[in-house]
Amino acid sequence: MIAAARPSFVPGPGLPRAVLGAVIGFAVGGGGLAAAGAAGAAGLAPDAGQILGLGYLVGLLGFLLGIGAFRFWLTWAAGREIDAAEEHAAHGRAGDWRRYFRFTTDHKVIGVQYLVTAFVMFFTAGTAAMFMRFELAQPGVATSKDLYNTIMSTHGAMMITVALISIVGGLGNYLVPIMVGARDMAFPKANALSYWMLPLAILLVVLNPLLGGFDTGWTAYPPLSQQANLGQQAYLMAFVTVGVSSILSAINFLVTVFRMRAPGMSLMRMPIFVWALTVTAAIALLATSVVAAAFTMLLLDRLLGTSFFRASRGGDVILFQHLFWFYSHPAVYIMGLPGLGAILEVVPVFARKPLFAYPLAVLSFIMIGVMSFMVWAHHMFVSGMAEFFHIPIMLTTELISVPTGIVFLSALGTIWMGSLRFKVPMLWVFGFVWAFLIGGITGVFLADVPTDITLSDTYFVVAHFHYTIVGGTIFGLFAGTYYWFPKITGRMYDERLGRLHFWWFTLAFNLTFLPMFWLGIEGMRRRVADYPAEFGLVNLFVSIAAVNIALSVAVFLFNMVRSWRTGPQAAANPWRAQTLEWQISSPPPVDNFDRIPTVTATPYQYGAPGPGSPAPAPAEGGLAP
Amino acid sequence: MSPRRHLLTAGIAWVVLSVLGVIVVTGWQIIPVIASREAEIENGAFVLLAAASVPVLMFVVVGLVYSALRFRATDDLAEGPPVHGHTPLQAAWVASSLLLVLGLFAYGTVGLVEIRGAQTADFEVNVKGEQWIWHYKYPATGVVSTELHIPVGRRIHLNITSIDVIHSFWVPAFGVKQDAVPGRPTQIYMTATDIGTYPGMCAELCGLGHTSMTTTVVVSDQAALDAWLTQQLQAPPS
Repeated sequence: MIAAARPSFVPGPGLPRAVLGAVIGFAVGGGGLAAAGAAGAAGLAPDAGQILGLGYLVGLLGFLLGIGAFRFWLTWAAGREIDAAEEHAAHGRAGDWRRYFRFTTDHKVIGVQYLVTAFVMFFTAGTAAMFMRFELAQPGVATSKDLYNTIMSTHGAMMITVALISIVGGLGNYLVPIMVGARDMAFPKANALSYWMLPLAILLVVLNPLLGGFDTGWTAYPPLSQQANLGQQAYLMAFVTVGVSSILSAINFLVTVFRMRAPGMSLMRMPIFVWALTVTAAIALLATSVVAAAFTMLLLDRLLGTSFFRASRGGDVILFQHLFWFYSHPAVYIMGLPGLGAILEVVPVFARKPLFAYPLAVLSFIMIGVMSFMVWAHHMFVSGMAEFFHIPIMLTTELISVPTGIVFLSALGTIWMGSLRFKVPMLWVFGFVWAFLIGGITGVFLADVPTDITLSDTYFVVAHFHYTIVGGTIFGLFAGTYYWFPKITGRMYDERLGRLHFWWFTLAFNLTFLPMFWLGIEGMRRRVADYPAEFGLVNLFVSIAAVNIALSVAVFLFNMVRSWRTGPQAAANPWRAQTLEWQISSPPPVDNFDRIPTVTATPYQYGAPGPGSPAPAPAEGGLAP
Repeated sequence: MSPRRHLLTAGIAWVVLSVLGVIVVTGWQIIPVIASREAEIENGAFVLLAAASVPVLMFVVVGLVYSALRFRATDDLAEGPPVHGHTPLQAAWVASSLLLVLGLFAYGTVGLVEIRGAQTADFEVNVKGEQWIWHYKYPATGVVSTELHIPVGRRIHLNITSIDVIHSFWVPAFGVKQDAVPGRPTQIYMTATDIGTYPGMCAELCGLGHTSMTTTVVVSDQAALDAWLTQQLQAPPS
């Protein structure tokens, strides 16, 4: 009945139709352009890049039409009444697995979609890392330099995407509406749209080796990226798509946080994780368009003969680096802040103490957000940019470690004198503090121009950013995934396998990346398939340690899949936590709350009042009865 | 144990470990081969930053380890003290980290000016990057080569260009690294201090042959350099 009410030109929703739409779209866009060229229409002679470009654009549109992303808006635009039953059905039914493969508007479904997608990408890009460590295990070239460059670039591009979407899209989508006491995000359809823009883009990145691969790394510096293969273009288009999705989702988070909070949920009563996501969304909203513009200009240079970055025709290659890092350094905080938020959310629950210096931590997140826009050029200390510019950038880069350091104050201050429970999420907190500390300290060596001249483009940089991004984002992601697993799945994970995963991963991670600092100082360049023989032994050691990271992640995967299917039922609040998501059932009902709660305090009223202490914390985690 | 005793014990551990760490770090030569004035300055910066890092590292590590050992929950319902913050401690934390980074910034600026400040030289070479080889030209004599020869103890100016993509000229032993950018010449000023032969390379990913884009730098005294230049002028270009 519903189908009959739908205008005939709007395709029905579903994954099969989305795939069909993508194929038809690609055929119409790419094939049409090729046919026009073959027919000699208007003197067109399109090259493969232009065919791929238009084909992808129309194909993506076809995919989104097929999945049903625009059906409500099209109905509305056509002046028809939106079918309330269909709109409600798009929200998904509890327990129906098919909702995960549809254009479902429930933020919890979208959160799980993001999270699973991110982990699948994490495993794929991790496999690429295994290939890299195979090539690097011994000096000499075992496979081929070209293949190495492509796999290395693909590993980077995919891992960057994992770091960008895993916590924000996954845990953020799932938790932020519940944590602020809302029934969904502000724009549920736009939320689903931002997820469904990703699958085709990700596929394009994964398939880039079939298009000749790309050898520039994820940074895509011209002129190299202008002479590289079609695989390069695939990456550029995919990254712009991820960017658009990211902007859309950022708007959604900001509106949700500022307009959808439950009564009594003042800004300074919000969980710290929500604060982290809020600042993250603000950065993403303001910065992402810059890199999308830079990549689009690069695409125009490649496809339409412009000269933004062509030095031979008056373009400027350094301009690209400025635009790229103007996004990509803030992006480091888009990756990092959600991890810091997840960590600080976990600490008080397992230390049974209020989050230490909560207002200062909020202020530090905001300061990180503001200052993240002022430090980009520290990636360019040896690039040949204006000489005087080194000094202010060195200052701002070193200053941003002050607000970042406050995260350590909050974590340590909460842990100190606490009543610590070393459940798996808390283990990841301790692992995080260590890894992020090493990342932070080594960052100072890269912020200081005299030492950076030696270190830039070496393995020291590789080790540093793995300590910050894995230390900040991935440790935070694991802490959060274990912590919220019972809430999301309604089941408990296996504690012993979780411990095994933590210790194995953390040990292997440190044994992989600590030696890389030494390699960098000794002069091993990054992004090379081969190296001087004297580094052979250390590289072999690193490769063996890296295999252990992969094995430990297999334990995680096994634990997650098995526990989701057959783990013991989880209680609504197994950790006795006070944030709102723990006050509703596990997993939460489709509409989150039967009755919107009223909030009376911050969710960190832990701790036994000693003699002379203030009145005991309100019951029910800061909720009014 | 009282909160004060905990602080005292951990504080002593922190001070002892920090002092030991600083002593260990201060004796180190961190850059493996130092053959220029610039590398010497950078090594000094490395040692200072490493020394400054030790107390920070130890503060957090001692805090973590001590807590893990001493603050485990005694029973399932045990709670910590309801402390939400400590204003003097927070103020001290912000102030000390601010002072530390401002100090490091001042030191870094001095080092930066020392390395890149004086843009004068008495020996000039044009360095040209090309996929995947380095070319050198000595404008005073017109000699061209694929090995860089420079005199010891004199201020060198390398004028760096690229004819295709971005490369980066790097000689680890000199502590100099500078991108070669198409359409925008870049500069290195440096003084080699030790006679010898040193490896150089491209440090910026420049495509398929990036890995093998290496070069050799020979530092000799002025007489040996002059002899080499004369010999190059007489020899047919290879």
